[in-house]
Amino acid sequence: MESSRGIPSLHHSIVPRVSKDPWLLAGAVLALVLAMAVLIGPYLTPYDPNDMAFQPLSPPSAAHWLGVNDGGMDILSELLYGLRNTVGFGLLTGIVALGLGVAAGLAAAWFGGPVDHITMRFADILLAVPAVMILILMAAFFRLSPVALALLLALLYWPTTAKGIRAQALVVKSRLHIYAARQMGGSGVYIIRHHLLPELFPLYLIGFATKARMAMFMEASLSFLGLFDPSRKSLGMMISYALKYYYLDVWWNWLLPPILCLTLLIMAVTLLVVSLEKVFNPRLKEA
Amino acid sequence: MAEICIKDLSVVYRDGDHSLLALDQTSLELKAGRITALVGESGSGKTTLGKTIMGLLPENAELEGSIKLDDEQIIGKDESDLNRIRWSRIAMVFQNGPANLNPVLRIVDQVAEPLVQHHGMKKSDAVARAREALQGMGLRPDLADRFPHELSGGEVQRTLLAMALILDPEVLILDEPTAALDAMAKSFVARTIRNQRSRQKAILLITHDLDLARGLADNVVVLYLGQIMETMPAKDLFADPCHPYTLALSRSYPTLEATRDLGGIRGDGFYRVMHAHAQKERPPREHSHIAAPGFSHETGHVIHAGCLFEPRCTQSVGECRKEAVPMFPAGDHMVRCVRRGIVTLLHLESVSKRYDRTTALRPTSLELRAGEIFCLVGETGSGKTTLAMIAAGVLNQDQGGRSFEGRDMDRWIREGYRSLARRIGVIYQNPADAVSHRLSVLDIVAEPLKIQSEVREPSEIRDRVRRVLADVHLSTESEFLRRYPHELNMGAIQRVCMARALILEPAFLVADEPTSSLDPSVQAKILKMLLDVQVEKGLTMLFVTHDIGLARKIGDRIGVMLAGRLVEIGPAARVLAHAAHPYTRRLIECAQGEEEQSALGADLPGSAACPYAARCDRSEERCLSEPPPQPLRLDGGGHVVWCHFPMRG
Repeated sequence: MESSRGIPSLHHSIVPRVSKDPWLLAGAVLALVLAMAVLIGPYLTPYDPNDMAFQPLSPPSAAHWLGVNDGGMDILSELLYGLRNTVGFGLLTGIVALGLGVAAGLAAAWFGGPVDHITMRFADILLAVPAVMILILMAAFFRLSPVALALLLALLYWPTTAKGIRAQALVVKSRLHIYAARQMGGSGVYIIRHHLLPELFPLYLIGFATKARMAMFMEASLSFLGLFDPSRKSLGMMISYALKYYYLDVWWNWLLPPILCLTLLIMAVTLLVVSLEKVFNPRLKEA
Repeated sequence: MAEICIKDLSVVYRDGDHSLLALDQTSLELKAGRITALVGESGSGKTTLGKTIMGLLPENAELEGSIKLDDEQIIGKDESDLNRIRWSRIAMVFQNGPANLNPVLRIVDQVAEPLVQHHGMKKSDAVARAREALQGMGLRPDLADRFPHELSGGEVQRTLLAMALILDPEVLILDEPTAALDAMAKSFVARTIRNQRSRQKAILLITHDLDLARGLADNVVVLYLGQIMETMPAKDLFADPCHPYTLALSRSYPTLEATRDLGGIRGDGFYRVMHAHAQKERPPREHSHIAAPGFSHETGHVIHAGCLFEPRCTQSVGECRKEAVPMFPAGDHMVRCVRRGIVTLLHLESVSKRYDRTTALRPTSLELRAGEIFCLVGETGSGKTTLAMIAAGVLNQDQGGRSFEGRDMDRWIREGYRSLARRIGVIYQNPADAVSHRLSVLDIVAEPLKIQSEVREPSEIRDRVRRVLADVHLSTESEFLRRYPHELNMGAIQRVCMARALILEPAFLVADEPTSSLDPSVQAKILKMLLDVQVEKGLTMLFVTHDIGLARKIGDRIGVMLAGRLVEIGPAARVLAHAAHPYTRRLIECAQGEEEQSALGADLPGSAACPYAARCDRSEERCLSEPPPQPLRLDGGGHVVWCHFPMRG
């Protein structure tokens, strides 16, 4: 019941809170719908997104809810697979960047001195590097796989998270309850695990969300530019192709769905993060 | 001129299967011209000792050992020989005054009776002598012809004294001579007793009045469950007790001198019962055990091989339970304690600390004895917290050494800090910051258990947490255990912090201004609770406060700090009543509402001057040029001051 992190038990506080907090409710519903689309969507469509078996540019119909694109592929199938790829890319980058950022930030704050100095200077250097350019170059020259690109992006994105974590960790580290835990004989590992890490919780959410959002957008941009394998479906690529046919009356069934999906995706992440922070911070609960 | 020498005296009251062991191998000397006070809780065997000397024990008493009056053995004498000695050479004033007088006889006749009995004096002469004696005791002449019930308690007591003294005995045994008397009557009785001492009588003063014992006696014998725990010069009774029992006893007594009193002693001592289990063991083996009230025979049946006081002692170790403890010499005391009296728990030797450019603590030495509360007072920035945190082992000094429970603390910290941390609890000034707001009450209080990984079973953790929460008078409901700090008020959070500090039952508690963020009523509750816990658990406490009034209420000793030095240390009452350092006086005056004239921070730290020189209205040339001298001991006791011109009186 009482978890050591102080995160309230699920049935006790989160469930009733969801109904009260419209932000959380909206975010949760959006995220749920999108998650369903990502997880089971591809199994629901009867078509392979790469199957060029249909009448190109046919308008929406009962068989093809969003119509067929110029290559004769089902747009809805494309959309579902593309969404999956984009979300996967974002999550991977977000998680890896967060992990790196937390590790680097905590190490810098905990050990201080040269460790702090070296980590932070390295972070500064990375911050000065234009991520888009690096990714474009790497994708173009080395034909890196999406996973490799996501990891590369994470390597470029961790510094801001690390800086935030470090700053907050320094503040928390000097708090009396950590001094008290140290007095009680708590080891470094104990204090980091039970006092520092839980205290930084909001930063993880924010860090993860911003990085995931940026990564999703980056994925869309790169695929818009055509830097991925064309057979890999992606929201960006769909937008890019749809734009070629803007003179036809296809924008609402071909261009709009991927744009809408991308927007909702980013909105869902943002809404969830904002409201989850409230849930997980007992002090903000009352406010 | 006579002496009484008691050697290895044991007295057992036989009563069926269960006998009462009233005195156990007691040895004691009463010398001419000296008053020996016998103190101890009721049931300790004080009166039995007095009656044994008089040969007045009931039939069922069995004696062992020897009592010699000069060289004459009293034990075993037949009744007629005893009668010769009784009253003429050894006289006793019994307790419960009026009950010892015959209600149907005039008091003058009763006082005269021994003269007739022992000296064969004529009745009329004897009555005349008795009348004189009663007047000598300060009784109005007309009172002599009254009956006992017509007298006040004080008058009865004087009558009894007159009666005991009428044959001018060499040895006088006084059993609670002042028990029911008011202060005036008491002081008169005390004067009479003192007169008798100057007439070279050997006096045994049996009393529970520690003030009387200290003021009147030459030496004090402390009796506990029939055993002598400590013998010492009377002046040390409050100032320098050596046995934990003596300390606890003196702390329980409401004396005007001590400021912290009515402390009580944890647990109960009652009687020592001797018996044999005829059914269980053959042949039956006779043994003794302590019977405490509220315990049935079975539950209270703990055979004490070791020190009798061990179950109630605050500094007992395994060794205390092993075997009977002999008396050990400790200075001019004799003490029955394997640890040679109250131990030094913490010793700081010239510890000092600097933070960058500020000197927080100049070389300071301090010794804390087990079971005492030491209050550190002084203005902000005087180094109180620094010293306290060095004592707690959380902060390392730059120079100097420290030891805890006889072990080098710095080495202990290096070799295994966790086991040291287990022995020390800390309560911080700001309770709200001292706990993580992400942890529930249960998690906060259980944290030391988890860190020390002593208990892993969740249900056991809960039990331990509940017990300690009850100790600090907090709710033990599950609902409360789930609460978060922001749902509690400051007083409750501070109690949670205390529970956390106490859950491992540490030997040493450092409390850094634990009540400064609380309002007075909550402060009062928390301090009371803290003192109770201190008595129950026998904690040694270092209590940091800026409030000298508070220090007076709770401290056994006070240390006054100024600009990183201790400037005065002493028993709380002495420091308050006879402060020797001008700074201490100023602190007390300010606490009493006087306004501070000179600006704060006008001290001259770092220079050779006395840190108080700039503010001191008594400072002279020397104060500005020389640092304060070596500690100056006042009145031989534990009162020490660092000042060129200490104030007297």
